[in-house]
Amino acid sequence: MSSTSQKHKDFVAEPMGEKPVMALAGIGEVLGKRLAEKGFDKAYVVLGQFLVLKKDEELFRDWIKDTCGANVKQQGDCYGCLKEWCDAFL
Amino acid sequence: MPMFVEDPANFSKSRLKSDLVAHNVKLPPAKSKKEVYVELHMQHIDQKKTVEFSSDEEVEEDEEDDMEGEDGENPGDAEMPDPSALTDDDLKAALLKHGVKAGPIVASTRFLYEKKLRKLLQSDGHHGQLNGAKNGMMYSDSEEEEEEENGEDNDAESSAEEENKETVEESDQADEESSQVQAGSQSVAANVYSSSSSSSSSSSQTFSITEMLKEMEGRRSLSTSANSERAFNGGNVQHHWSQSNRLDMPSVVNRTMKNQSLYYTPKAFPQEREMQEPVKDDFKHLFPAEITPSGIYATRRRPIKGAAGRPIQYMYPDTPVSPMTLQRRDVERRLVPVHIQILVFVTVTCLLYLIYVCVEDNTFSPIVSLLDNLNPGSNSGEALLHKTEAQDTPALSEWE
Repeated sequence: MSSTSQKHKDFVAEPMGEKPVMALAGIGEVLGKRLAEKGFDKAYVVLGQFLVLKKDEELFRDWIKDTCGANVKQQGDCYGCLKEWCDAFL
Repeated sequence: MPMFVEDPANFSKSRLKSDLVAHNVKLPPAKSKKEVYVELHMQHIDQKKTVEFSSDEEVEEDEEDDMEGEDGENPGDAEMPDPSALTDDDLKAALLKHGVKAGPIVASTRFLYEKKLRKLLQSDGHHGQLNGAKNGMMYSDSEEEEEEENGEDNDAESSAEEENKETVEESDQADEESSQVQAGSQSVAANVYSSSSSSSSSSSQTFSITEMLKEMEGRRSLSTSANSERAFNGGNVQHHWSQSNRLDMPSVVNRTMKNQSLYYTPKAFPQEREMQEPVKDDFKHLFPAEITPSGIYATRRRPIKGAAGRPIQYMYPDTPVSPMTLQRRDVERRLVPVHIQILVFVTVTCLLYLIYVCVEDNTFSPIVSLLDNLNPGSNSGEALLHKTEAQDTPALSEWE
């Protein structure tokens, strides 16, 4: 994704702290609610899953699609957001 | 829950005891050695299992042999039967065999790795039938594609072509009804697509490659292609964009067309994409050079910033201006306009010239005439004349 949204920029600009999962790029209200129901209520939990999958794009996309039904664009946005955050802060 | 390798020798004595009791086997004397328990365990319990779960027995044996048995490439058959039956370590080893370095297999990741292994196993079976194009695409969205993979990509393509033609007619009808742009693009795309597919029937992989590309680019610039198709509806120039739209989300298709047959066509082509998945390639490497055989070269186009599904008119209320432009405009508003500046400059120059000329003690008559012209009033003209005369006489006297 060559263009990034405002949400992406906001997320990547600072440590995520206790931000809710809806702060992730690509995750809106509906998807955020679904993730929270599965137990991923904070962004750092999704980050945990991302890291356990060794930051692998395909696996992470698969996982987020299975977990909350994100479409390809949303998957990509979320992946890109987390990846960039990790590059900056991890 | 994974079923672990049941090697009774690894069990503890108490475990063996409890197992024997559970299976109603008479326990040996209390102070027997573990081996006795193990033997009894193997005799009774493993026998029991062979009676009840014969298939699982094979699984266990395979696992006990450290997967040495069926290690060959059996097309169509799963070499590792059922990834769910494997332990974490075995699953990891199986993935490693396929060249996938798996991370920790935890509760949350287990399912994903099993799915991955299944895909790898299926594609192994079909790999021999394809020409093995090395284009690992981003996997597609609908999971049913895996089930439809039967290695009959040629048949799938021909059937897809037929379906294309059918859907072209249907989509044309629906086109008149729906005002959606994508419907129009789909009909266009289907037209172009069926023609192009019929022209080069041998290159099934190129289609899949182009599909991948189109889909990726379509995902990226979905709105831009929608906008462009408004302008070039039916234009061949944008056919690859429209293809990407056509192959886009089946949900989109369903929404626009309400036509189930069209749903199948996008799936037919992603099948081929699915089959080439095992080679993990960064899809960015797809772009150069490999698409030329069919003549469709997808240029990578930078999407419009901020377009992201929103039409452009909502994005920018006015024409886009940079902060510098705004500042400049503010400053210019306060300053005097340029042409007025020039006018003032010219006027001042003339005045200064006249004054200079007045002061100057050169030739007299042109100055007088000039002054007379400029100062029509006789009084002022005389006044100036006197002035010049007064000035000139000292000058003349100086010269002499």
